[in-house]
Amino acid sequence: MNKLLLKLAFISGVIFLSSCGGDSDPGYEFMPNMYRSPSLETYGENTITGLNALQPVEGTVARGHLSTFNYDGTLEGYLAAGNTAVNPIENNEKNLADGKALYGMFCEHCHGATGAGDGTINHAIYSAVPHYNDEKLNRRPGVPMNELEAGHIFHAITYGLNAMGPHATQINEDERWKITLYVQEELQNLGK
Amino acid sequence: MQPKIEDIFNMIRINNFKSCILLLAVVFTFSFQTSAQPDGAQIYKANCTACHMIGGGRLVGPDLQGITEKRTKDWLKKWINSSSELIASGDADAIAIFEEYNKSVMTDFYFSDEDMAALLVYLENPPVEEVQVASAAGATEHDKGMSGSTQMMIVALVLLTLVFILTSVKNSLKESLGQETETVPETLKNQTELFLANNINKLFVGLFIMIVVLKFAFDAMMGVGVTTNYQPVQPIAFSHKIHAGDNSIDCNYCHTSARTSKHSAIPSANICMNCHASIVSGTTTGTTEIQKIYDAIGYDPETRTYIEGYEQKPIEWVKIHNLPDLAYFNHSQHVTVGQLECQECHGAIEEMDVVKQESELTMGWCIECHRETEVKMEGNDYYTQMHEKMKEKYAGEKITVDKMGGLECGKCHY
Repeated sequence: MNKLLLKLAFISGVIFLSSCGGDSDPGYEFMPNMYRSPSLETYGENTITGLNALQPVEGTVARGHLSTFNYDGTLEGYLAAGNTAVNPIENNEKNLADGKALYGMFCEHCHGATGAGDGTINHAIYSAVPHYNDEKLNRRPGVPMNELEAGHIFHAITYGLNAMGPHATQINEDERWKITLYVQEELQNLGK
Repeated sequence: MQPKIEDIFNMIRINNFKSCILLLAVVFTFSFQTSAQPDGAQIYKANCTACHMIGGGRLVGPDLQGITEKRTKDWLKKWINSSSELIASGDADAIAIFEEYNKSVMTDFYFSDEDMAALLVYLENPPVEEVQVASAAGATEHDKGMSGSTQMMIVALVLLTLVFILTSVKNSLKESLGQETETVPETLKNQTELFLANNINKLFVGLFIMIVVLKFAFDAMMGVGVTTNYQPVQPIAFSHKIHAGDNSIDCNYCHTSARTSKHSAIPSANICMNCHASIVSGTTTGTTEIQKIYDAIGYDPETRTYIEGYEQKPIEWVKIHNLPDLAYFNHSQHVTVGQLECQECHGAIEEMDVVKQESELTMGWCIECHRETEVKMEGNDYYTQMHEKMKEKYAGEKITVDKMGGLECGKCHY
């Protein structure tokens, strides 16, 4: 009887101690092989390719994602895009609303809610973000900000411009055109 | 304010009226001039900092430290007004810079003469930039008073000393009376034996010990697999407080796929580089943490270029919120369709320097939310058809997630 009690006390003691997972330790799992199946997890690693997260095979295009914007990330590409690229997105209420929401997620912290360049980023490097409704200073294509064409804006989002990085991996083409639509319809006209 | 007015009155008394007016006029012109004077620092900050730094190395364009010594004022004016015209005119220096900086064109700034003069004066004497180093401001606060256990220990120590003092007093009193004395352990032993001599007391003590052991065992069992408050050290001391809190960057900016896929993606390093190609020094950790991104992908913060042929290595973040593989969870279902805020499950991430798991992530926790949360069907295309049918079926009742199958086993376990 005493031995049984001793055993019980020992077991409970072990459980008690083993469950003392600190904040930097996730603790224990009941059935690790059900928690972690042999299938590959998104951000895990494997012995064949290393990373589970892979890039698309070079030269392939995902179904439904054939680009209609064929300009390279140079100054020539930027100017050519401004001259010839057309926004394929229909100007309607839904697309504008989508554009506004996307602008809020991806642009607002630098460009500001009204496009005045007064976003919430408080680093000195991002204190000179230009106004979308600025009509004085001539920018890259030789026109002020409020006269930038859809192609210019789309090119800048895709390849970046000055201190702004390229955002093509975060926002897909459709979404970029929606943002362009919103900027052109709403923000560029605010000062006019 | 008071002494100033008195001074003026004194002046009026002492000087004659004419000189007083002259003085006022001079004062006014001065004040007018200072308000109308273009502020070079302001102009610089509003127009130049997107591409240039002073003394901080090259950004998009060159470092402007000592630029007024390197180039003549006349040349600078021409360049700022229209760099492309200067390049087209065949100026060798201009062409060299254009080539060096990957043919990126500088915006034309047609400043007025006064503004331009003020800007050049500012560039000639730029303020000494304060070096931002990881300082006490950024260090985590350690001195938050004593922790609970320390306080308890001190109380226990005080009580123990009190016991010893009292026994020694009692013993010395007994000694002076010529009675037998006993030490503290002896007293304790005798008292305990006396207490346990009673069988009912024995039962109570036994029960008490059993309950305590069972309670600990139960809590320990319930805690297995639950990782609330898990707060691992990450390979880079990334602070959500600085990014999502102080700078108010939207969660979706970095976790781009939360809207559209099962996973809320860990941002790849190129998303970091959208800003950190320019920002090479952080507010609390200086360059040490940001340098880790550069080490992973091969970026030279001095020249602001990616190193060719660099062997990139992944940043191995530690996963905090981990659902077992036997349960299916989809972010877009909750973020886009359910229109939940990230904070509802993840807590106030924008206030965390180091992220920790806020919710239990147990099945009970999921079910509870599905039972209570009303589905936001209005204005949500996903539910257009279903909404009408549900309204008919549950007329007047709250339509919660469980009413449309949110508790079905197969929704999450398959």
